[in-house]
Amino acid sequence: MLDTISKDARNYQILSLFLFLVLGIGTRDWTLKPELIVVIFATCLSTQILMSWLVNINTLQTPLSKSIKNQIWKGLPSAVITALGLCLLLRAGSYSTMIMAGFGAIASKFIFRIGDKHWFNPANFGIIVALLFTPDAWVSPGQWGDEVWYALVFVALGGMVLKRVGRWDTTFAFFTSYAGLELIRNLYLGWSWDVLGHRLMSGSLLLFAMFMVTDPRSIPNARNARLIWAVAIACLTFILRNFFFMPEAVFYALFALSPLTIVLDYLYKAPRFTWFKVQMPKPVILS
Amino acid sequence: MKPIHLIFSLILSLLIAFAFNPIAWAFCGFYVSKADAKLYNNASQVVIARDGDRTILTMANDFQGDVKDFAIVVPVPTILKKDQVRIGDAKIIERLDAFSAPRLVEYFDSDPCAPQYVMESRMPSEAARSNTATDAQKSRRGNLGVTIEEKFTVGEYDILILSAKESGGLETWLIQNGYRLPAGASQVLQAYIRQNMKFFVAKVNLEELAKNETQFLRPLMMAFESRKFMLPIRLGMLNAKGDQDLLVYILTPKGQAEVSNYRMVSIPTDAEIPVFVKDEFAGFYKSMFQTAHRREDRRVAFLEYAWDMGSCDPCSAEPLSPEELTKAGVFWLNSPVSSPFNNSIRRSAVPSRGGVFITRIHIRYNRDKFPEDLMFQETSNQRQFQGRYIMRHAFKGEAKCEAGQAYRKSLPKRFEKEAQTLAQLTDWKISDIRRRLPVVEVQKNPIQQFWNNIWR
Repeated sequence: MLDTISKDARNYQILSLFLFLVLGIGTRDWTLKPELIVVIFATCLSTQILMSWLVNINTLQTPLSKSIKNQIWKGLPSAVITALGLCLLLRAGSYSTMIMAGFGAIASKFIFRIGDKHWFNPANFGIIVALLFTPDAWVSPGQWGDEVWYALVFVALGGMVLKRVGRWDTTFAFFTSYAGLELIRNLYLGWSWDVLGHRLMSGSLLLFAMFMVTDPRSIPNARNARLIWAVAIACLTFILRNFFFMPEAVFYALFALSPLTIVLDYLYKAPRFTWFKVQMPKPVILS
Repeated sequence: MKPIHLIFSLILSLLIAFAFNPIAWAFCGFYVSKADAKLYNNASQVVIARDGDRTILTMANDFQGDVKDFAIVVPVPTILKKDQVRIGDAKIIERLDAFSAPRLVEYFDSDPCAPQYVMESRMPSEAARSNTATDAQKSRRGNLGVTIEEKFTVGEYDILILSAKESGGLETWLIQNGYRLPAGASQVLQAYIRQNMKFFVAKVNLEELAKNETQFLRPLMMAFESRKFMLPIRLGMLNAKGDQDLLVYILTPKGQAEVSNYRMVSIPTDAEIPVFVKDEFAGFYKSMFQTAHRREDRRVAFLEYAWDMGSCDPCSAEPLSPEELTKAGVFWLNSPVSSPFNNSIRRSAVPSRGGVFITRIHIRYNRDKFPEDLMFQETSNQRQFQGRYIMRHAFKGEAKCEAGQAYRKSLPKRFEKEAQTLAQLTDWKISDIRRRLPVVEVQKNPIQQFWNNIWR
């Protein structure tokens, strides 16, 4: 059991995100109500259980068999990650908005999927659903500020998770291409270096680059595909931020380009990602 | 099924890309002296009424020098025509300030022997003072790349809307026309030119000023439509010495506005502080703000007030009437347009109907900690917030009962706590504060002893 826990990179991710949540609530001036956190968690977990039960009941005939329970159990850490992601990023004025975001996030995994892979990042999907279809949701891009200390914490913990997931290339591609575009803009406008620094050191941007754009279950499998994908998101983010002046640029960029995962996975065939390092048990050969 | 989803997503992403068309805007320039006067612009007040992409911006004029030396250069998003610029009413800014100012409230402890409650509030405040005027024409100074897009007079101001090709030309043009530019202006102007911004250049028309009953320079208002929700602060940093204070009153229909590229922190509030602060509340608030600013490493914006315009509790001033709000630039109050899915196309240019939410943001900025212009966003956050400081006046009457004695005994502890809160908030010396605390006389033989009952 312990072995499984330490092998599942999601547990490190949960730990990191939980730490950020504690850090954010404790040291930043957030308007996050505790009851909304409870609502998000309750919605995400119950939707996850319900949906995976519904999906599995069709494939395996025996209801509530051991394997169904197993399937349901396996999906829970992902739901926790999504819930934590929503708590960290989304702000809303009512329970119903949070329920909609939580439900949308988890349901998107089961609806928008091909084979075993869903193409929207659940938390991102939830955020976009809430922003587009409810009157009282918003995100606060400035909520972390731009202090070096926070940036280091994000990079350190993000690096730890990415090392396990093996998706550091995506973060690298996203961040360097975004930084490159911002650098060109900065040089063109003739702003000093600290303007660039301020734009890139934003805690929210780092958190996104470390934890959202790297979700192995919703991004392309092949490395080259991931690089193209990450660069595309960086470009769209840059355009939305600097030409359309959208504070939530990163989220819209990721959302709009998520379906590209399917195309890229088709073009670049690569082994699918699993959360566990130990893959399927070897078949026992009966002699 | 799957292709449909794919198409749906693509359409959505295209919608996102096409629903917005970019135009830019901006404010907050620097005062440019035409003579060699020493100028400071240490505090500015701006009112931004915004719904969708439509904005009416009011800049208070706190200019202190000789009015004939006054000149201002403000980067703006679009070319402004004469009917887009007006003279504002300084009293409205005063009203907004008074309505949203951090407030000191006082409570009077009731007689502990006969409990009842009384409440009262009071507060501090700050302050200057309409018609329109003449011609518009287009001219070109080809060799400098500077184009006078519009030229008109509004009230006491002669206004030019300039567009430029490169900063050197603009700088030369301004200098040739008698504007005194601070060092380093060229580089900053360049950045705004390349962001496709125009320049709103105003100076005082002394003849027009003479026609006014008052000699104050009145606020300037401008109306425009742009996706960009920001205040350009970089130009203003050039001729400022040290920190500058900026008070932004943002009036929006949905909810609280916030700074999107810097952290915004609520000012410490609901603190119980010693009664003597009553006479020096302004000093207290200054020290407290300074302390909070320092503790946040001077790099955050402070939220001082966020409230629905319809009410206040306690009120430091009456809420603004619809007429006053209209004067402050609120343009959506009588708007007949209302869309059922107001939020479905984000930031649609269609203004919504509805209430008015005021957000007061106090930013103390300098070049080092605020390298970038301020960007804002409207949120639907309905949380009401106010900077509120509480004085509780102790009951001074006679303590005739046991509860009264216990109350008296509890007072020194309470005063000490208030003193510590005050010291913590302001960084004032605790010993100085303690010296000013009221003295409580506790009677020598305070409570009826058990023997009193029989040995009278």
